[in-house]
Amino acid sequence: MRVRAIRLFAASLAALVLAGASVAAHHEILAKFDDKKPVTLTGIVTLLDWRNPHVHAYMDVRDQSGQTVNWAVELESPIDLQRNGWNKDSLRPGDRITVEGIAARNGSHQAWGNSVVLAGTGRQVLTVSSSAPTPPLSPRPTPRWPDRQPRLGAASAGGAQGYWAFPSATALVENGVTAPMSTYGLLKNIADAPKVAPLQPWAQALYIERQRRFLQDDPMYLNCKPPGGPRQFQLPYGVQFVEDRERQRIFVLIGSGNSNYRIIYTDGRGLKGQVGGDDDNPLYYGRSVAKWEGDTLVASTAGFNEDFWFTNGGLPHTDQLRLTERFTRTDFDTLKYEVTIDDQGAYTRPWSSGLTLRWVAGEELPRHICQENRS
Amino acid sequence: MRVFVFLVAFSVAVLTGSHLAAQEGHPLKGSWVGTWAGNKTHGNDVLLVMNWDGKTISGVINPGTDNMTIKNATLNPAGWVVHIEADGKDKSGAVVSYSIDGKIEDLRLPNRTITGTWKSQRESGMFRVARQ
Repeated sequence: MRVRAIRLFAASLAALVLAGASVAAHHEILAKFDDKKPVTLTGIVTLLDWRNPHVHAYMDVRDQSGQTVNWAVELESPIDLQRNGWNKDSLRPGDRITVEGIAARNGSHQAWGNSVVLAGTGRQVLTVSSSAPTPPLSPRPTPRWPDRQPRLGAASAGGAQGYWAFPSATALVENGVTAPMSTYGLLKNIADAPKVAPLQPWAQALYIERQRRFLQDDPMYLNCKPPGGPRQFQLPYGVQFVEDRERQRIFVLIGSGNSNYRIIYTDGRGLKGQVGGDDDNPLYYGRSVAKWEGDTLVASTAGFNEDFWFTNGGLPHTDQLRLTERFTRTDFDTLKYEVTIDDQGAYTRPWSSGLTLRWVAGEELPRHICQENRS
Repeated sequence: MRVFVFLVAFSVAVLTGSHLAAQEGHPLKGSWVGTWAGNKTHGNDVLLVMNWDGKTISGVINPGTDNMTIKNATLNPAGWVVHIEADGKDKSGAVVSYSIDGKIEDLRLPNRTITGTWKSQRESGMFRVARQ
């Protein structure tokens, strides 16, 4: 009985350790992988694991001692790979490949794959390039409803599909401040942290702590927490506006948010309700009411909980966060998003930031599903 | 059998711990449970509920029983050093003034801890609470 129990314990512990390892997997690339550890791997593919949030190629590699070691090579997401014409048959078990990448910080047999080349043909596979749609030479006019109010969504009822993506900025920085960052909001120079926003001392220290840990504690990746606040507009799979004029509300469908959506009420109701929501309605997106000021939809949003990061990069917020969001479709293909952050719990004064989004015509909003405990 | 019971309990503890609610705002906000070891006046077990309004850390020690209002609390982000002061009463009604000094550990975790020491006019000991 004792031996059996110990075996059971060992198996349970191993499962827990493995689960913990995978929990820490989908992040800012530098959270898991070290760009100072370049690695070249040549070996035989054993599996192409085509699942969210990142595809993995497993390969047997013979090390210097002659032992065969199975490496996990992390690649881009299935959505991005499919957009670039790849599929789960693009690499097959038995294929001999060479991978150039960077190795995991923890010394495990994992690598981020910058390039994958089929040894037989020299062909590079599973490549991804991402660029915003080219805008027309002369801007197309903003589409409007019959009453001349701008349309935030499709150009006409039953018309061409589309959504907003390719944000001009992928992390919040106060207007007028220059603080270079990665796509995930990781500062190139951590000394810029105090410039990013007017943070209270505790919030600045927490922001720096998150940055120093390469954003690896991001609850959106660790626990699939929704991208509430401005973050919903900073992610790669965009947003779609569905305007329900009859019921006076706008649904914001969030491509990177596990098919989450947010409702902006335009029926004149006030902001009310329990701060932070409750277990049935946890308010990762807060409560939003809005009205039109000319061609700009101005939304007031409050009631957020504190269980998520409201921007890439890990700027803290509290449940005192109130956003004033201004949406202006400046032309057919451009949506301007301006936001004022008022959070007396985390910042010394209100501050503003913004970005623009590009219209992706003729496509449905991608469906990205986070899978907890999956790398 | 005892080994098996321990292993099951350990697993339950680990799995339960991994599903604590996140809290990404002010690090002290929330409910904290633990011990102030050697406290003969108010018992070893302690519960703190703390809040942050943007300027002040407020809260109560042992709400519902001892109801000691926190009269002063500070968090120094340099090292995440915590200081808490609160007054309670012993069975005779005499005021017992508590002072707690500690440090937040595992800041990134929902079940982060404060570890340090506590003291009153009469007693002192180790202090450790974990966020629930």
